[in-house]
Amino acid sequence: MRQRGYTLLEIVVTLAVFGIFLFIVVLLTAEMRANEKKYPINYMAHPEVSSVMARLRKDIFDTKYYPATFQDYQQTPKTLILYTLQQTGFGETVVYDFRTAGEVHRKSFNATQLTGDWTARGVPQFSIGNFTLNTGQDAVRISANDEHNRLAIDEIFVPRPHD
Amino acid sequence: MSKSRGFTLIEVLVALLVLTIVITTTIAMFVERHKRLRQANETILAYQALSNEAEIWRRIAFGQLDAQAITFQSDTAILAPLAPYATSIHVDTPRADVKSVTFTIRWANTQREAKLSIVRADTGGNGLW
Repeated sequence: MRQRGYTLLEIVVTLAVFGIFLFIVVLLTAEMRANEKKYPINYMAHPEVSSVMARLRKDIFDTKYYPATFQDYQQTPKTLILYTLQQTGFGETVVYDFRTAGEVHRKSFNATQLTGDWTARGVPQFSIGNFTLNTGQDAVRISANDEHNRLAIDEIFVPRPHD
Repeated sequence: MSKSRGFTLIEVLVALLVLTIVITTTIAMFVERHKRLRQANETILAYQALSNEAEIWRRIAFGQLDAQAITFQSDTAILAPLAPYATSIHVDTPRADVKSVTFTIRWANTQREAKLSIVRADTGGNGLW
């Protein structure tokens, strides 16, 4: 009567095939991980970063001037105050607050009254720098670093003319 | 005589073939997805540097566009993950009063490229806008 079960050879061959498959998967995954570490952030997986940049771009393009202070806020590398034009043609004061790590707060004010409060979480550490063009115009340089201090965002925005 | 238990050679081969196709397709999809994601991230980095450079060149006086060095004037630290990369600027004059400035970044052994062009017109102004 024939014995039930597998021979040693059958088991070895099966394990070898499975081992090769596992080796390929591990190799591919390791290479991908190494590749991903090169990049400061996966922008596709973090749409909130693009969302912050889109709002900043729109607000700075529509900026008429940068108030030095507003209520308890002051212009600092972590707080940006803008006086921007709305779609209605009226102005509003917009404050970007980057002081909380991993968060961006955008507050808009009609005169002194808070009219909008928007927060993005899980974003890199934003900061604001001046960027003076050789024409004397004041642009805003927005940069952001990820948790490993790698530069993830570095964009210059220049207000557009409105008059 | 009772029939032997187990699978025939054909059955085993067909099963292996199906398994191979499924595994190969899954791995190929995985690799392709990763490649496209990486390319998208690289493109986002490249366009940050391109738009920064465009902002500077938008404000150079029209008459001085040709006299500029054809290297990026802006900080390109954001491009570090693409290293080694090359940047170039080309100024074209389709008409006497119009210039087209094209900024190019090449990376991945020049296999990948991102371009941005701006058009400048001689309005007789000081080049601010």
